Amino acid sequence: MKITDLEKNVGNFNLKIDDLYIQPGLIHGLAGHNGSGKTVLLKLIMGILNPDSGKIDLEGIDRRNMTMMSQRPYLLTGSVYDNIIYPLKLRKIKPVESKIDELLERTGLLAQKNQYARSLSSGERQKLSFLRAIIFKPEFIIMDETLSNLDPESERAIVETIKGIQQTRPVTWLMVSHGQDVREELCDIIHYMEKGRITDEVVKG
Amino acid sequence: MERIADWFVKCFTDEAILSAIGVTLKMAFFSCLISSVLGITAGLLLERYNFKGKKLIIRINRTMMGMPPVVAGLVVYLLLMRRGPLGMLGWLFTVKGMIVAQALIIVPIMTGMVHQHASGKAPAIREFCMTVGAGRWQTVWTVLREMRHDIYFCIVTAFGRSISEVGSVMLVGGNIKGKTRTMTTAISLLKSQGIFTEGIALGVVLLVMAFIIQWLCDFLQKEESADENN
Repeated sequence: MKITDLEKNVGNFNLKIDDLYIQPGLIHGLAGHNGSGKTVLLKLIMGILNPDSGKIDLEGIDRRNMTMMSQRPYLLTGSVYDNIIYPLKLRKIKPVESKIDELLERTGLLAQKNQYARSLSSGERQKLSFLRAIIFKPEFIIMDETLSNLDPESERAIVETIKGIQQTRPVTWLMVSHGQDVREELCDIIHYMEKGRITDEVVKG
Repeated sequence: MERIADWFVKCFTDEAILSAIGVTLKMAFFSCLISSVLGITAGLLLERYNFKGKKLIIRINRTMMGMPPVVAGLVVYLLLMRRGPLGMLGWLFTVKGMIVAQALIIVPIMTGMVHQHASGKAPAIREFCMTVGAGRWQTVWTVLREMRHDIYFCIVTAFGRSISEVGSVMLVGGNIKGKTRTMTTAISLLKSQGIFTEGIALGVVLLVMAFIIQWLCDFLQKEESADENN
């Protein structure tokens, strides 16, 4: 994915990305203080916001094969299970129950499988949002502070799941995380943002 | 106690009363159905798209929401009268004409309510749909599904409004016994004739209906509060 001369004004905030290349199959991290423009950039990439100018070249990636987990995930009315299978239903894919149970077990949500999704805690909601995002095997996954409300055990489970996915079929990830340890453990490239600009880029040795 | 029971039996075996109940329900059902289709569509489209003059349309709709029913009745009367632009339909003093008048009152209410609910909820639902790769119609379906409690609430409110209306149905329907007489217009006529017993019986039926509608509204609002997406 190649981003060139991208500009977006949101109120008084100005985002300007001259050049950003997201390499396929790698985990990209996005770091920066609150209000540095990370979420705006992610929403532009996802197509939720339209740029004022500039170009986002998806290089052949179908938007339907992209997904984004937001800081406050929207949960559908219904159970945890209903939420997880929703992307599969959209694609008329029959859910594999054993696979779903395995993912729920791994993230500690199996006991809540039939629970009303909106009764979950914020951490559980984020885990559900993560499972719902990976269930349909997208090519490009955007995570906006999805790990922020998780306890260390759950965070580890998610990190290991991401590593597992990368070993079997490399997916392109773009993740915002304030946790330096997670970033350093997972990310191949970290882009630093400040006041709506990419200020630095660190490639893991 | 026995006398009250006898009185109720007498009232509810009276053909004129049964006809008024039937006309009221028929008129309320069809006007509600038409208003739901038009109002829900208009409310959702008004929320979804930004265009020049949108604020003006919202303002006009809000004005229409407060339109006195007799004014709506008068407008429909003028449209449907023999020399009116729609006189060839022959709908004046028929239930069809009353349905049109009711729809004219309810559509703006429905549009305004759906627009209000959708403004608060639909953007987040659409954004979510985009993040899971839903297509256009899948997104529309998801918005409708997620907003179903709000929509039910609007429909129930519209139905309540429809059964309790007097002014416009009196003008357009003409309050013809056994044909266009509704419960409310019958009560109005019975009172003017000094016949209170049948009027009270119809009033009781209307109150029972209002109670059921109120109960449905409460139920839907309770469902809604359990749905908080915090």
